[in-house]
Amino acid sequence: MRKKLMIASVTALAMLLLGMTISPRGQQSRPADRSAEVEVPDGCTVIMVAKGASTDGSTMATHTCDCGVCDWTWRHIPAADHKPGEMRKIYHISQYKTWPPEQGLKWDLYKNDFTGLEIPEAPHTYGYHHGMFGYMNDQQVGIGESTIGCSRKLYNNTPTPAFDITMLTLIAMERSKTAREAIQLMGSLAEKYGYGFNDGGEMLAVHDPNELWVFEIMPAGPLWTPKTGKPGAVWCAQRVPDDQVCVCPNESRIGEVDLKNKDYFLGSAHMVSFAVEQGLYDPKAGKPFSWKKAYSPAEGSAVSSDGRRARLWRFFNLVAPSLNLSPEMQNMDFPFSVKPDKPISVQDVMNMTRDRSQGSRFDRVKGLRGGPFSNPNYYGTTRTIGTPSVEYTTITQCRGWLPAPIGGIVWLSFGLQETSCYMPLYAGISDVPASFKIGDHWALNRDSARWAFDYVDFHTQVVYNAALEEVKKAQAEWEAKTVSRIPEIDKEALDRFNRAPLEGIGYLDGFCLSHADSVVKAWWTLGDDLFVRFNKHGYYDSEKRAYDRNRIAYPEWWKRAIKVWDAISEPADK
Amino acid sequence: MKKNPIIPVACFILFCVFALSPSFGQTNVPKAKLPILTTSAGQSNDVTTINIVLEEAGLGFDYCDVPDVDMMKAGVGLADKESGPGFHAEVYTDLTKFPKGTPYSTIIFAIGASLKGMGASGLTIETEEARLKRVLDYCKQNKVFVVAVHVGGTALRGAPGSDNEKMIDAVAPFADYIIVTKESNKDARFTKIAQSRKIPLTEVDYALDLVGILKQVFL
Repeated sequence: MRKKLMIASVTALAMLLLGMTISPRGQQSRPADRSAEVEVPDGCTVIMVAKGASTDGSTMATHTCDCGVCDWTWRHIPAADHKPGEMRKIYHISQYKTWPPEQGLKWDLYKNDFTGLEIPEAPHTYGYHHGMFGYMNDQQVGIGESTIGCSRKLYNNTPTPAFDITMLTLIAMERSKTAREAIQLMGSLAEKYGYGFNDGGEMLAVHDPNELWVFEIMPAGPLWTPKTGKPGAVWCAQRVPDDQVCVCPNESRIGEVDLKNKDYFLGSAHMVSFAVEQGLYDPKAGKPFSWKKAYSPAEGSAVSSDGRRARLWRFFNLVAPSLNLSPEMQNMDFPFSVKPDKPISVQDVMNMTRDRSQGSRFDRVKGLRGGPFSNPNYYGTTRTIGTPSVEYTTITQCRGWLPAPIGGIVWLSFGLQETSCYMPLYAGISDVPASFKIGDHWALNRDSARWAFDYVDFHTQVVYNAALEEVKKAQAEWEAKTVSRIPEIDKEALDRFNRAPLEGIGYLDGFCLSHADSVVKAWWTLGDDLFVRFNKHGYYDSEKRAYDRNRIAYPEWWKRAIKVWDAISEPADK
Repeated sequence: MKKNPIIPVACFILFCVFALSPSFGQTNVPKAKLPILTTSAGQSNDVTTINIVLEEAGLGFDYCDVPDVDMMKAGVGLADKESGPGFHAEVYTDLTKFPKGTPYSTIIFAIGASLKGMGASGLTIETEEARLKRVLDYCKQNKVFVVAVHVGGTALRGAPGSDNEKMIDAVAPFADYIIVTKESNKDARFTKIAQSRKIPLTEVDYALDLVGILKQVFL
């Protein structure tokens, strides 16, 4: 009887849930204004820390390069001098396009997609490190990216616009000494030559040792051509106050704009008139112009989206719990930036990129979600900042008290942040490790750094919570210790740099490349160790040559859950 | 009178230039009728461009990213289907002139393969090809005018057998009218299809130029 009652209850609940997901027929889902729809898949998260909000006075920005099928390779572009008359070719670069390794590397092959546009070269171009985007140049200009989408009528996927977001970041790296210069340059190039093709609404964190900006850019629609005489893009940038932090989780963050306040705002002169022209803003409605509401409205909240939009709320909840912001707060209503409850260190930022919403209502291992071994990768609805589909994560850090080649650091981790390790690449180094330059998703390559981290991640999946403890030990050894060693590395590099800049650079080259090689090697070894240790869901202690098959035990609650599931899923007559 | 030998040579060169030019074979713009259904062949975002062009031209239309024969049969209003994850159906046809259920007279395909787009709709290149064949067979049987548009340029082209070329093969030879941008037709592939199938083709510089062309077609 009890079993029948349970079956009836479960059936009723299932029917209720099913009914809620089936929309009534005959009601046309016709939005009043189709252009108002903005739906961007969950992807990259940019966490930003201004200099007064960090523990050491540095500015920081992350980029969790979320994709799952994209290119993860890195390279260094050296500084160069150019003769008058030299031209810089502009290429269409897709964030998603990859080529089989036998055909070559993305950063050579994208040159087959020449737009036909050449612009005059700068007399001197700065050296920089880049992966999917330009990340840090030798002047300490750093960048992080998040796709924010835009009103659909603004997309211009025709080949007419010459610039994609990736190309803009590369030119910014080559020609900018400050964040402001980078922003003005990208904005003006996009307006003049058009922006879009592979990309739509995009956000960049652009920072230098002093200032941290949110730069957002939108295409001008598919009917734009250079012959129209109108700008081929519309953009806006807002500076994060020095004592504050900000985040961008695939959502536009800039609200009301005051272009007269040049300390805090930069942007297209036509941003309001263009929104009016496109029917995206009605000045007669009596409300002030809001950049995000006009160009990239994203409705909903963390709760209403079942956690899909939870990263915005989660970030503010992590850095400023005293504000007690509600997960039911509408996305458009969140503040642009906040003062954190306590200063943020680079290690704090690393930890935030690993966040899986633990302890919150969006915790991915709450209840049955994570299975018997608390694996946050099982239950897919709630998107967290840390994500398995990430290609790599960067933390660009700019430190004004040091010469730019030493002050700038790209902290880079490959693969899922939780099982990876951040490695420093100083801004001034003349190359990146060879293992960072190769590999793709479709063939295991033991010479590729990324595969070492995937190798560890793969071997944590079986007995996640126990294996993660082993990973944390390695992170403490290779990451936390390196973070604490940075002042010592800085000092040694600075002493040498002051004697002869090339000597300082050579020292950093040696440190960064050998350290990265050591970490990659350690992660291959760690992967092997995890494989052996948790083989057959047991616990093999290689040092003691001991085996404990009961150490990895299924928890009692899990066993009970299995019994309950059996009870409700077995036919009633059994 | 001595003939100038340069003249026949120049004539020959001029002939070659025009005959081999991608724009050779451009024909007068044909006439087609409302109501229109727009859709994608390959799920690239280019169908959005077509929709915006139609809006700019003042032409109503229905849009569905993955219509099949049932929706073609349902006609204007797309059987009141609702958009959801991986499926979009939107109705912008003037329902006072063309009430729900009115058969579509024209279908416009935006050609261009996108793995991202097909993935979002749960499609593969093979299932997309099969769907397109069913829809085109229906169009042929029911005399629906088929317009094939390619505005994605060289980026939405590829080697023979590539996804983009498969989408072109799936639609362009069965169209009643082809409109392409010059960059999409650099190798005169569409011109050759139009010539071999004896169908009109219009080549334009920019997507913007489609506004005037489609006005000529429908108004």
